[in-house]
Amino acid sequence: MEELLRGGGNAAGFELIDTTGMNISHCVGCNCCWLKTPGVCAIQDDYEPILRKMNRADQVWLISDTRFGFVSWQTKNIVDRIMPLVTMYLKVKDGQMRHVMRYDHQPDIGIIYTGDGDQAYLERWCQRTALNLGSRSLGVFSERDKKEAVVCMLS
Amino acid sequence: MHVVIINGSPRVQKYSNTEKIIAAFGKGLSEKGSTFETYAISNRKTWDIIRAAYIKNDEILIALPLYVECVPGLLLEFLETLPPKDERTRISFLLQSGFAEGCQLRCGEAFLEKLPEYLGVRYGGCLVKGDNFGIRIVDEKTQAQLTKPYQAMGRLFAEGEGFFREEAKKFTGPEYFPLPARLLIGLIHRTLGKKMFQKVAASWGCNTPLDEKVWETSNV
Repeated sequence: MEELLRGGGNAAGFELIDTTGMNISHCVGCNCCWLKTPGVCAIQDDYEPILRKMNRADQVWLISDTRFGFVSWQTKNIVDRIMPLVTMYLKVKDGQMRHVMRYDHQPDIGIIYTGDGDQAYLERWCQRTALNLGSRSLGVFSERDKKEAVVCMLS
Repeated sequence: MHVVIINGSPRVQKYSNTEKIIAAFGKGLSEKGSTFETYAISNRKTWDIIRAAYIKNDEILIALPLYVECVPGLLLEFLETLPPKDERTRISFLLQSGFAEGCQLRCGEAFLEKLPEYLGVRYGGCLVKGDNFGIRIVDEKTQAQLTKPYQAMGRLFAEGEGFFREEAKKFTGPEYFPLPARLLIGLIHRTLGKKMFQKVAASWGCNTPLDEKVWETSNV
């Protein structure tokens, strides 16, 4: 991926975060980031700096291995813990209840996966996840089609 | 029927809404002469015991909260530790969420529909129900009222047809709220809802606005 993005004089600035070996807990559903310390996760580990970067980015691409046709549990943990970006407040948007976002800027989300991912399901999940963030899905690409993903990043 | 019920919530059992739902559901099972044993994955130290119960039994029910449109990360991790079994085992699911409308849970349900095939086992259906966020923040009496409907679903499940019966499908409630309800809910959440949540937060010791842009105001 890095080679593809750096090559060809691409204008997009990017930062690759390798979470391998990082200490990133799962979300424990304590609701502290909504009701006790709004916007701040109760778990002190390697995650917050990543979330701050995700919050500022225009695009977040999850590069994930797959299991059960879905993203790995490590990737799901990273997504489950975006809750500090969301507030406890609710609203109705496009006919459904949604949380009110904490910040004005929301990143779009895309997925690049390795292994035997369920393409249709991953697309559905990515769209729904983006809906929760008030942003849009950038699409889901198998690692084999990563060049297409780069086109998507730059368009 | 003997059912192994696994609470797939990462939240500690004491505060788990799913745990309270399971308690009501279990009452219903008992009323129909079924027995059950319950486990919770929130405590990793018990994973070996839960796995052993999964291997030994053929009627499994996983009850779980919806986390970002699908299964919580911790439950995904636990599921990866399960050995393959065959079709003599049936897994059913009870998927619950904070959001109230049925449409909010369908993406999660779609994952659960396919999951048994990956594990080699049979699918027993998925009971889908939202509007459970409040369980945690109300008193015990109200908790009992909120979870009581699950007791009827326990009785239904004890009849052996998983969650495929019409009663289980109807249990979800409205897929979308009708427009007048949406307008009213929208209005409530712009006004009273905010005050109510701020009040809950105050009881948790929080006096800052719940929509504080904390990373912008702290200049870091």
